[in-house]
Amino acid sequence: MKKERGQAKTMIIDRTPWIALIGIVILLVLPVFIQSPTFFQFMILILWYAYLTTSWNLVGGFAGVLPLGHAAFAGIGAYASSVLFIHYGLTPWVGMFAGAFLAAIVGIIVGAPTFKLRGAYFALATIAICEFLRVILENTQKFLGFDINGARGILLPLKGHSPINYQFLDKRYYYYIILVMLAIIFYITYRIAQSKLGYYLTAGGEEKEGAEALGINVAKCKLIAMAISTFFTGLGGTFYMQLVHYIYPRGIVSLDLSFEIAFIAIIGGRGTLLGPIVGAVLLVPAAELTRTYLGGSYEGVHLMLYGAVLMAVMLFKPRGIMEPLEALYRWVHGKFFLQPLTQTDRGE
Amino acid sequence: MNLLELKGLSKSFGGLMAVGGLDLTISGGEIVGMIGPNGAGKTTVFNLITGLHFPDSGDVHFNGERTTRLKPYDLCLRGLGRTFQIVKPFGTKSVIRNAMVGAFCRVKTTQEAEEVALEVLEFTGLLPKKNLLAKSLTIADRKRLELARALATRPKLLLLDEVMAGLTPRETDDMISLVRKIRDQGVTLFIIEHVMQAVMNLSERVILLHHGEKIVEGTPQEMASDRRVIKAYLGEEYVIARG
Repeated sequence: MKKERGQAKTMIIDRTPWIALIGIVILLVLPVFIQSPTFFQFMILILWYAYLTTSWNLVGGFAGVLPLGHAAFAGIGAYASSVLFIHYGLTPWVGMFAGAFLAAIVGIIVGAPTFKLRGAYFALATIAICEFLRVILENTQKFLGFDINGARGILLPLKGHSPINYQFLDKRYYYYIILVMLAIIFYITYRIAQSKLGYYLTAGGEEKEGAEALGINVAKCKLIAMAISTFFTGLGGTFYMQLVHYIYPRGIVSLDLSFEIAFIAIIGGRGTLLGPIVGAVLLVPAAELTRTYLGGSYEGVHLMLYGAVLMAVMLFKPRGIMEPLEALYRWVHGKFFLQPLTQTDRGE
Repeated sequence: MNLLELKGLSKSFGGLMAVGGLDLTISGGEIVGMIGPNGAGKTTVFNLITGLHFPDSGDVHFNGERTTRLKPYDLCLRGLGRTFQIVKPFGTKSVIRNAMVGAFCRVKTTQEAEEVALEVLEFTGLLPKKNLLAKSLTIADRKRLELARALATRPKLLLLDEVMAGLTPRETDDMISLVRKIRDQGVTLFIIEHVMQAVMNLSERVILLHHGEKIVEGTPQEMASDRRVIKAYLGEEYVIARG
């Protein structure tokens, strides 16, 4: 099958739900065959990063801006649900929504003035906000009467196996929870990408003046995307807290995490549905292995690895790894099925 | 009723007066042309009407409503469309997706938007190229796409900023008949144009802008023989060439 340059690639989008569905089914039955806790710890981490990056992608990918402070919103979610649990015994199942709403509100407050900034200035502003929050958290013992213990962080009271309190001894529960969360945010992103909002976000991200002349309130669309993105990032923060039971400001509201999320998206493919997942599958294991084997002696080697991969991707495939993957998929399809994929895929 | 009414519209950039006290009315169903030398302030007038810039003084009334300080997207929702002199396509998106973005101005679902988009692409002759990326189009097709997107928003008044610029004579002829077709659909047009053949053929009324001020206003025939127009814009050669 001949491909013409400059041909629109609508076909992959259409197949994405099926690829995702197959992936989810495989991941659902996986625990039947593999029971190693280490493996689950590993898988949970990959899924968690894929989840955070998919949330990030709504703003960082579709809306065409580059937020580099999303860890702040994960931190807000984690702190809010934990503080409510410790002080009022409110189950994190409810508390996580309080945290998520708080994250979304902060997201809107942060987005309203910063979306006016262009390019690198927006990225710098989000970095500053993330750092600002970390410094505040590190230097605050009590916030609105809640103990947050400054730089020491907070420890979740352990309840053993207590599903009502979002605490489990078996890692498989966390595995299933984050898998469902990823499926939900993936589905939401998929629906948005196909909707008016998705069209408006990509249009506004690419050519603001042109978009506004066509009736698009670009700033408003970006704020909606920011609210949804930060809401789900907040939920991801609570999940992390429930998984590790302990957070401190530098451990979650960090630029490391913020950058990792952005790197995964950029390397996987910003603004594509599967990009964040592909990025997480490739990068998280690499990061974990370097952390395990070089962790004690060479702190931060995994970030150097990210940097090297990022540079290579930017040089050779600026639109991320999804681009060659899509081309490969097309090639395989053309080779073995020998018929055009869809009408939109044919040359003129 | 006047569709568009400008009253004493003025705008300065720093010390430079781009538009000074412009009065103009356009009623429904007209094609009005605006000519003038480079830097005369023509595009600034469009930017003031469409809310891209706000005037220092003066007022814009569109469709019986004062719209002076409304944003471009609010004006688009009220039925004011425009194209840009330097086209602004969503380059990495397909032609049909570009048109769908415009169509979403009036419809909610993706399916409806696709129907509207296909209709305007057929109208502008871009249908065979609907799956090409916007950045891969020729300049003539980009101008058409700019028009198609604007039409998809269902405008009452459409401002065209030099849609003929950079086209071959053949493409210019096609574009002239396309603009006529748009007017026949009931859309009022206000066009900036340097291609005199197009302005003279299309417009029922022409205004000459010079240093931000309206110097002459009249029918194309009146304009072509007016000394002031010849002096400020057309030049003596134009008169000689026309015999």
